[in-house]
Amino acid sequence: MLTRRHALAAVTAVALAAGLPAPHASADALTKATLRLKWLPQAQFAGFYVALAKGYYKAEGIELTINPGGPNLLTENLVATGADTFGLSGGTDSVFAARDKGLPIVCIGVSHQITPFIFVTRKDGAVKTLQDFKGKTVTTWFTGANHVLNGMLAKEGIKADELKIQPQQVSVTPFVDGSVDVATATYYNELYAIQTRMPKDSLKSFVAEDYGITFPRDTLIVSETTAREKPELVKAFLRASIKGWKDAFADPKAGVDAVMAVAPTLDRAHQDFMLTEVKRLMTAGNAAQSGLFSIDPNAIKTAHDFFLKYSVISKPVDLAAAYNASFIDSVPAADRRP
Amino acid sequence: MSAAVMASPSLAAQRGILGAVLLVAAWEGLARGLDLPSYVLPAVSDILASIWSNRMLLTQAAGYTLFEALAGYGVGCLIGIALAVVITMLPPVRSVMLPIATAINSVPVVGYSPLILLWFGIGVASKVVMVAMAVSFTVFLSTLAGFDRVDRRAVDLLRSFGAGRFKILFRLRLPTALPLMLTAMRVSTVRSVIVAIVTEMLGAYGGLGWIIYQAVLQIDFVQVWSAIFVASAISLTFFGLIGAIERRILFWT
Amino acid sequence: MSIDSAALSLSSRGAAGRPAPWHDWMRKAVRLLLGLVIAAVVWEGAVVLFGIKPHYLPRLSAILAAIAATPQAYVDGFLRTLAETLIGFVAGGAFGVLIGIAFFRLRALREMAFPIFVVSQTIPVIAFGALVVLWFGNTLLAKAVIAFYLTFFPVTVNTLLGLETVDPRQVAMMRSFGASRRQLLLRLQLPTALPQIFVALRLASSLSLVGAIVGEWFGDTTGLGVLLLQAMYTENVVAIWGALLASALLGTGFYACVAAAERRLVFWSAEQ
Repeated sequence: MLTRRHALAAVTAVALAAGLPAPHASADALTKATLRLKWLPQAQFAGFYVALAKGYYKAEGIELTINPGGPNLLTENLVATGADTFGLSGGTDSVFAARDKGLPIVCIGVSHQITPFIFVTRKDGAVKTLQDFKGKTVTTWFTGANHVLNGMLAKEGIKADELKIQPQQVSVTPFVDGSVDVATATYYNELYAIQTRMPKDSLKSFVAEDYGITFPRDTLIVSETTAREKPELVKAFLRASIKGWKDAFADPKAGVDAVMAVAPTLDRAHQDFMLTEVKRLMTAGNAAQSGLFSIDPNAIKTAHDFFLKYSVISKPVDLAAAYNASFIDSVPAADRRP
Repeated sequence: MSAAVMASPSLAAQRGILGAVLLVAAWEGLARGLDLPSYVLPAVSDILASIWSNRMLLTQAAGYTLFEALAGYGVGCLIGIALAVVITMLPPVRSVMLPIATAINSVPVVGYSPLILLWFGIGVASKVVMVAMAVSFTVFLSTLAGFDRVDRRAVDLLRSFGAGRFKILFRLRLPTALPLMLTAMRVSTVRSVIVAIVTEMLGAYGGLGWIIYQAVLQIDFVQVWSAIFVASAISLTFFGLIGAIERRILFWT
Repeated sequence: MSIDSAALSLSSRGAAGRPAPWHDWMRKAVRLLLGLVIAAVVWEGAVVLFGIKPHYLPRLSAILAAIAATPQAYVDGFLRTLAETLIGFVAGGAFGVLIGIAFFRLRALREMAFPIFVVSQTIPVIAFGALVVLWFGNTLLAKAVIAFYLTFFPVTVNTLLGLETVDPRQVAMMRSFGASRRQLLLRLQLPTALPQIFVALRLASSLSLVGAIVGEWFGDTTGLGVLLLQAMYTENVVAIWGALLASALLGTGFYACVAAAERRLVFWSAEQ
């Protein structure tokens, strides 16, 4: 299997060398790197696309390729193996889980400072408080959101087997149709889809922060090797990315344009909405003062203890090794502030 | 059909086993020798050990997937054969149905999975529909081809004896078509399991595809391989079973 | 045991014949166009008449309008998927024929490797998607590898089957005229096997498309598979149908090309 892989790799190399236009003179100064996203292209990642389109990475000496994610890909894995240089991965939960499994990755920045999803129910329905979740059908994603749900329930003394927790559909239709009592919704995706299909103000939401749980998500990661051997590359990447994000926030129309250029079949109105929501998530909490992608040690510690308590991770993780704030701190706070 | 080629089955079997052993040894040696991390390629022994320690979970998931595959397979075979019979019995229907069936069939079945998942949800129903679609097209086209293979003169002869359409169908067309039908049904076994798993990986409440999906996200690649091994074993068993039934039926006709 | 996995499509072959004169082609083209127009009218009419919800089947005009709104996305996706399909098909076809010949010549190799090949075909390739990206990166090649994986086996099987149908008396006769093994293969055995090989190639044409589409579900930027996935997660049924139409065009077009090549190359099997 390996030999075939090498043979094919050689073939690609030849094909690339033969097929692509010869790089211009300045190109030898550029370092090739890739960024693996956590999902398909959408405004959630607008800043990176803006930075790429405006040549901010090139200006920092990086020739960046942005690779989308997908339902069956794990960013941590691709970064750990060196298949991708940078990754925008699931969140603090997946970083902890990866470290717990021995994957050599390091988090260099946190994008969404607060929990990006909520649990929604119908305002006129039977669920008024968290206690009412008992005996109801609740759908959630088993990719992190389930831990938050379990944590919220535990705080209220409810056991997980007192309600029906199911994996959530691709579609929000079961919730809109009423066959599901409570659904999980990100502020930027499902909430939009639900709101466009249900009357205004018909929803009641349960927010993790109200139960003392914060779940920072969308983490930027690199491999330990990259962190150790190419710290300048990492810093340059962060500088260019932050510049791109600030531009996207300053001119949301251009931000969405950059995304739509990559995925033209997306719905513009939804993407506009998404960028607004993502801005709120990225500039919430600590980020208002310390700037974009800042790593809040307190939030990390709280999340860590939470995951340990609910056995998402098997043993304590070395936080200093898993979260390295030195790269993001190298960017002056004034430049990072939104 | 190639019985003559397999002149000495015992020698062939020995060589087959030797091949399998060599492959497993090479795999194990590569994984252990290069000390590959499990997210690149886990050792076979680790996979087998993991299958054993997760046997409850895997059996349950395999049952789930097998149910979807079998249900879809049954429905698909019935639809495929029924459609072929209707088209043969009512020739005018043919010119309408055949282009439609061909057009639908020109898109790979997996292409429909987004649509089917949105329509039928991520439960068992969507998988059964997907498997039934995949199986029915194959069975339909082969059965129809089998019916058409009948000698024109034989049909005329039977008709001259006053045989009706039904009689011709059961006496003549069906026996002639049987080998092709059964081949299609046997080939469809493997497809039905694969289609069920592929659809599960896009969204499900359980099954081997769901296990694979979960395991990828939990960075448990030994588990991914375990589920693949189990899936492969199920496919082979299903395949062998239909093959055995096929030999019996064909022997009697 | 599963030697005939590809043979089942044997009977669905079109009537083979000599290349038709051009006015015959014209007539066929007109008939095809007419058929498409009728199908389009029936589609549009049925949706309007029976009030089918757009969630299930949107009007054809709505789908075409969506494609026309962002034509470049569909053209790029079509070309990208086509490239992956073609590379996978050519590689799988060539590898399949070579392995088929090797299995035909070396019985020991066949008996050792064939069962493994059979088992390899029971593995759901999508489970490998993440690994393929890991091994081959985010390249066009990664998708072509999946297409290749799905394609080579039927071709191997049918090449082997076809080679085995060669009449031993003909072999003996050519030998007596002093034909070398190579001449035997190129002049007698492969030509005899060609009709059988083409049956598998027609099957492989659609399998390689499956491989390309599924391969694109693992973090690609362009392609019909990407459009399908994108549309599914945004619940955009019109876009799903748009991508399906493009896939159908690609699938039928490629199949027709393979079938046309078959008619040109194996005209002698017309009497079969």
